[in-house]
Amino acid sequence: MEETISLKEIFEVLKKRLLLIVLLMVGAAGAAAIISFFILTPTYQSSTQFIVNQDTSETNSVDINQIRSNLEIINTYNDILTSNRILDQVIEELNLTISPSALSEKISVANSESSQVVKLSATDTDPDVAADIANTTIAIFQEDLPELMNVNNVSVLSEAVVPADPTPVNPKPMLNTAIALVIGAMIGVGLAFLFEYLDNTVKTEQDVEKTLELPVLGVISHIDEKDMMSMGKPVSISHKRERGSFSGQKKKTV
Amino acid sequence: MVRRKKQSKVSNVRHLITKLNPRSPITEQYKTIRTNLQFSSVDGDLKTMLVTSSGPSEGKSSTTANLAIVFAQQGKKVLLIDADMRKPTLHYTFRMDNRRGLSSVLVGESILEESASSSDVEGLDLLSCGPIPPNPSELLGSRAMENMIGRAKEEYDIILFDTPPVLAVTDAQILANICDGAVMVVRSNQTENDAAIKAKELLEVGNAKLLGVVLNDREQNKAHYYYYGN
Repeated sequence: MEETISLKEIFEVLKKRLLLIVLLMVGAAGAAAIISFFILTPTYQSSTQFIVNQDTSETNSVDINQIRSNLEIINTYNDILTSNRILDQVIEELNLTISPSALSEKISVANSESSQVVKLSATDTDPDVAADIANTTIAIFQEDLPELMNVNNVSVLSEAVVPADPTPVNPKPMLNTAIALVIGAMIGVGLAFLFEYLDNTVKTEQDVEKTLELPVLGVISHIDEKDMMSMGKPVSISHKRERGSFSGQKKKTV
Repeated sequence: MVRRKKQSKVSNVRHLITKLNPRSPITEQYKTIRTNLQFSSVDGDLKTMLVTSSGPSEGKSSTTANLAIVFAQQGKKVLLIDADMRKPTLHYTFRMDNRRGLSSVLVGESILEESASSSDVEGLDLLSCGPIPPNPSELLGSRAMENMIGRAKEEYDIILFDTPPVLAVTDAQILANICDGAVMVVRSNQTENDAAIKAKELLEVGNAKLLGVVLNDREQNKAHYYYYGN
């Protein structure tokens, strides 16, 4: 049996489960907001920039090669910056209580394409520590470089400073909430269709005719209290009685 | 879970809307069923008819009772029999005594004329289930049952049976074999497709003449639904 789903049916399904979808969206967004604002500790980022000066007098290569070698040098510097040799000294210098590998996760090195300016960023829960890490790392790197590579072509362009009102880079509550909202909506829509698919009950006259191939003699709509009006007088149907009892008597069997 | 709770609340409440509110659109819907039933039996006389469903609490008893009332309102002499001798409900619906009824007639304790009582609807007589017997299916398939129906046919224009669900017990199948027609009640949003198909197959095995389906508890578009209301 081939089944086709029209656009209208899709909207019907979504409309029917709108409450579920909205609840999931609000719930997910709320949870994300609460986690971002209250549970996750904010981390701050501080960056320093340094410039890699190729000594052009040594080589007479063409520009394209120079750029490539710059890139290679920057990649090399990246590795050196996050090597234990540098990081151990940073930890010693700053009296940090973390391992070099943990520290290397806090440091990221990036340069914009075909530029000799390299940006070193350090993140920490304390903005001052972040700035200290960035500055100390670059200082130690600058000191060690002549010893390591016999060149001294790094100069610091800008030092990491702590702004008066540091804003955390992570978590981003608005972004997290927005993502959670979208994920909540997606899960809601998915669940709505799943429920619709799992619900194999008869619903309409068309369902009856299709599955049972019997004529529909009539359709009784849902009867609620409002319908049970006797000449304008409301008749209470909310009075509940157990099936086995009749005027207070228990069911009797022979 | 939520759906289940909703069901039990509905099943405990007996709606007799056709009696309480004869001008309601829902009463009109029962009258439509009445008309369709009369049309569906053009060649034969539809004198005995049973109402059943695949599972419990799909609206058999209330549909039967309301149908009986609209038939009676048409001026017919109607006998409504509670053939659900496992979970009888007719005496709750019409708030009557259940000391004598179908079971006592079938075991020969009393006769139909004594056991059937008239209701507050003109032309509608009721035969409640009576004391619950240990062997309902055997009683329904007995010769006493045939005799009783034969006698009832002389007295009444139409005899309606309220039966247990088809998938649970065989009673409805046995009765469907005896009756001129069978109506299946299907509750919207509750009856599963497979259950309905299985019930239909079981009734066909019992040589039932399935007249059609009543779709119960269908949600309606409000605007459309109240258009002809009062």
